[in-house]
Amino acid sequence: MPITRRIFMKSGALAVVGAAAIPSFLTRAAFADGTLGGKKKRLVVLFQRGAADGLNLVVPHGEPLYYRMRPTIAIPRSSVLDLDGYFGLHPSLAPFQSLWDAKQLAIIHAAGSPDNTRSHFDAQDYMESGTPGVKSTEDGWLNRALGTLEAKKKDASPFRAVALGANLPRTLSGAVPAVAINNVNDFGVGGRGAAAAGVSGSFESMYDSSVDAVLHGTGKETFDAVKMLKAADPARYTPAPGADYPRGRFGQSLRQLAQLLKADLGVEVAFADIGGWDHHNNEGSVHGQLANVSREFAQSIAAFWTDLGKIGEETVLVTMSEFGRTARENGTRGTDHGHANVMFVLGGPVRGGKVYGRWPGLDDRHLYEGRDLEVTTDFRSVLSEALTRHMGSADLSKTFPGFTASRPGLGFVG
Amino acid sequence: MMRDRAGRPLTVLLLASFLSSSIFTPWAAAVEKPAPVATPEETRRAAHALSRLTFGPRPGEIAAVASMGVERWIEQQLASQSINDSALQARLAPLRILKMDPRELVETFPPPQVLKAVAEGKMPMPRDPVKRAIYESALANYKARQAADAKNGGDAQAGPPEMMEADQDMAPETADRRAQRRAARGKAEELIALAPQQRFDSLLKMPPEDRRMTLRSLTPEQRERMVDGLKDEQRETLLALVRPQSVVAGELMHAKLVRAIYSERQLEEVMTDFWFNHLNVFFNKGADRYLTPAYERDAIRPYVLGRFKDMLYATATHPAMLFYLDNWQSVGPNSMAGKFSGRGRGRKARQRMQPMQDGEPPPPQAPRGLNENYARELMELHTLGVDGGYTQQDVQEVAKVFSGWTIKQPRLGGDFEFDARRHEPGSKTVLGHKISDGGMGEGKKVLELLARHPSTARFISRKLAMRFVTDEPPQALVDRMSAVYLKTEGDIKEVLRTLFRSPEFWAPEAYRAKVKTPLEFVVSSIRATGADVRQALPLIQTLQRMGMPLYQMQPPTGYSMKADTWVNSAALLNRMNFALALGNNRMRGVSLDHSLIVRGTAMPTDPEDALTLVASALVPGEISPATRATIRKQMDDPQYNGGQSVELNLGLITGLLLGSPEFQRR
Repeated sequence: MPITRRIFMKSGALAVVGAAAIPSFLTRAAFADGTLGGKKKRLVVLFQRGAADGLNLVVPHGEPLYYRMRPTIAIPRSSVLDLDGYFGLHPSLAPFQSLWDAKQLAIIHAAGSPDNTRSHFDAQDYMESGTPGVKSTEDGWLNRALGTLEAKKKDASPFRAVALGANLPRTLSGAVPAVAINNVNDFGVGGRGAAAAGVSGSFESMYDSSVDAVLHGTGKETFDAVKMLKAADPARYTPAPGADYPRGRFGQSLRQLAQLLKADLGVEVAFADIGGWDHHNNEGSVHGQLANVSREFAQSIAAFWTDLGKIGEETVLVTMSEFGRTARENGTRGTDHGHANVMFVLGGPVRGGKVYGRWPGLDDRHLYEGRDLEVTTDFRSVLSEALTRHMGSADLSKTFPGFTASRPGLGFVG
Repeated sequence: MMRDRAGRPLTVLLLASFLSSSIFTPWAAAVEKPAPVATPEETRRAAHALSRLTFGPRPGEIAAVASMGVERWIEQQLASQSINDSALQARLAPLRILKMDPRELVETFPPPQVLKAVAEGKMPMPRDPVKRAIYESALANYKARQAADAKNGGDAQAGPPEMMEADQDMAPETADRRAQRRAARGKAEELIALAPQQRFDSLLKMPPEDRRMTLRSLTPEQRERMVDGLKDEQRETLLALVRPQSVVAGELMHAKLVRAIYSERQLEEVMTDFWFNHLNVFFNKGADRYLTPAYERDAIRPYVLGRFKDMLYATATHPAMLFYLDNWQSVGPNSMAGKFSGRGRGRKARQRMQPMQDGEPPPPQAPRGLNENYARELMELHTLGVDGGYTQQDVQEVAKVFSGWTIKQPRLGGDFEFDARRHEPGSKTVLGHKISDGGMGEGKKVLELLARHPSTARFISRKLAMRFVTDEPPQALVDRMSAVYLKTEGDIKEVLRTLFRSPEFWAPEAYRAKVKTPLEFVVSSIRATGADVRQALPLIQTLQRMGMPLYQMQPPTGYSMKADTWVNSAALLNRMNFALALGNNRMRGVSLDHSLIVRGTAMPTDPEDALTLVASALVPGEISPATRATIRKQMDDPQYNGGQSVELNLGLITGLLLGSPEFQRR
């Protein structure tokens, strides 16, 4: 296989830690701060895979066209949770209401990628690489962003970048080590006990000495993380009172993420995703398929936020989805692939309680290609703002090459 | 990149440890006699070819292929129909769903909407006593769920059916329930004490509600004893009594693993996996729970080494695909059905078109317009590729072309149907070609056009090269394969022959260039050890944990074949843990006889020699000095060695080898 940048960086630039050596990050005061300019800053990115129908999540109920274009799936005015007299939340997003009222939740409408692809695969790829239209990008934007923050950290935690799930998403792949965790409680080899430690050591040693660049790099990241997590003893964990995670993969992902954040393992950026948004038919309105997945989405995020407690003050959470859906419902009471979508931003430093971005409207003249909501805010502008104003990134030219965020920015991070 | 993330709980997997131990006979070594010694070069070639054309070599197979000649063996695999696979057929024989058509599946293992119809008196209860028992149990279940829904304010009603099914098991555990469960377990013990036939008969005679409680209360261990001694069909019935729909999922996945592990027609299996993934459908989407077995059997498998256009047509007209990508609901806006829906005649048509809905409230309106989903994926993923030169305009035109390609009674397992009333009239323009008004013939023309398009030739050739050579295959190879594709009108066998004879396939850079997918890793481990799989469920669950659940890739992209997707911390840990469990014979449902790995050769007393022997038997190609030294050191660790049997040690060696970096590649 060709040597990608990721592999090169890993095999060439990283010092090799011997199997028996105690990783240096463990010798620091237990899970020392992982600070950035004195404060622990964290960015959580959530991806709604399948192209969520943003127009039914944050409903332009003040726009009569909306109701004309969606005769069977529109959310009736009487059911919309009004936000500002013009936009309102889908009733399944009710758990967001209190976050909105507390001004922790901001909404950016008509955001998305400038690329016109309507392929899930390509659009997700472009959003995750952070380079719309450029297929040759090897790594993900969040990994690159973390790379620019690296200067101060010599003994970085293996948990700086964490993805919840069986696979490492494109967003987090790249030169900076990142771990994928399926289940915090069985993140290890051979179970518990002394015998397991021996076997684990053998595997660590095999992967550590392997000349296989891909497996060597991942092996090292893995075993570093295993040791650190073991020391933190994740088995003893109960979520904060009132953090009621719904069943299902997404809720469990966020529960585990809260666990990792609260264990103070040095997590700086994290990623989780939720599928099931591709509603070409029988999308439903107040009830139905979209309502169900939205409820799971909102309940999980609200529980996560409750669970984080004070940590939330230094955390920003951003949601994204590869594109929006057609403004008009299609012939099968669903929606087809469209263009702009809605992004939610939640966090302590967020100036919430406001819908940001320019609303392009739904009349034919303003619809993208005559059918879809137009993109008026590039998704990278939203991410840039979170990275510069919250994470303290000074230079985004590597994170989003060839892109300059509009100034002065939207102003949702205060 | 992995694109799934369905995010929904999988409930179909209650499949039973009911599936029997008797399905599997102990491993019969594929190769009987030690072959005459081949040259080291031919042995190396054999190891490479086996790693690529099969799900991994079995004990002794590398030597056997080297001795018969690698070229000859490849030709044999390409002519898969001539290979005797009767041993596999015997293993598959008890899996009845493989032979049933979707209607029969729906009837035998009734889904909620059939039960609803029976409950409402719209369909008769079957007369056959076994089927009747299944229906009665399922109805009891269905009614219990209805009651629970009513209590929950009916909100669960809005959920997709697969979620509703899970809710039942998650009901809060009350004292009442616990008592019921205890009583049921006691009843179960009484039944288990009976002779098999008597036990089965008593179960059928029980009142449905009691039976439901009893069977649901079983512990895994009780379940094993409950089915002990029963005939295969009786075991299947028992499972159907608990959850009829899971029989279909269970046997389908079970068959997939059995074929991958035990088929002699390995290339055919590899290609069936490849093409199913290329023309992916998602098992858990509504009617596809009943349509998927027939899809693989009738639309994929017969063509995997045949002509691409035939497979394309077979999938385009298969209800599983029409349902998965929504085309069955697509209606031309200017068609009869499009123009008249919601009024007089349309309403009648609608009732005919949508006989039943899967637990969803009846639609307020019949479909009225186009759905682009299939049209887009047909070009992007099945044929041209995303850069293959089509536009949004083409997507819309192709959607019109395929309007009216629908399904008769999809929820009842119905067949493909071209409904002229839904078909958009008028001529269309696709990729610059005028397709004149011609009903179903338009779609046939478009499929032909796409199948012989140079972009399709390139896209398919590249993907095949990615499967068999490297993640980034050399362009020269792809070009030569594309040329053969175009010259032979998409003859897959010829394209593959070109690939297998190419210098690129045999180049040193291609050696171990591919990281195994989870499926390849799990199956190759079982094959390498010669283990005997008695129950597939634990393996099915392992694949789920590894992020590659069988038949459950939700997006139409199918699973990635590239290393980046499958190499990460969670995945590596899962692999190591699986390797250890299998090596130490602690994998549920699988038995490992370490002596089979070395095919009866006596284990040398010298640990160095023992390691050499086991490593060369398990891992195609060499292991690195570092891997060797690590394992060697572990062998001397008193914790594993002191006073322990050699067997334990062999288990550890096997586990470490299967979890080694070398074994993660093919």
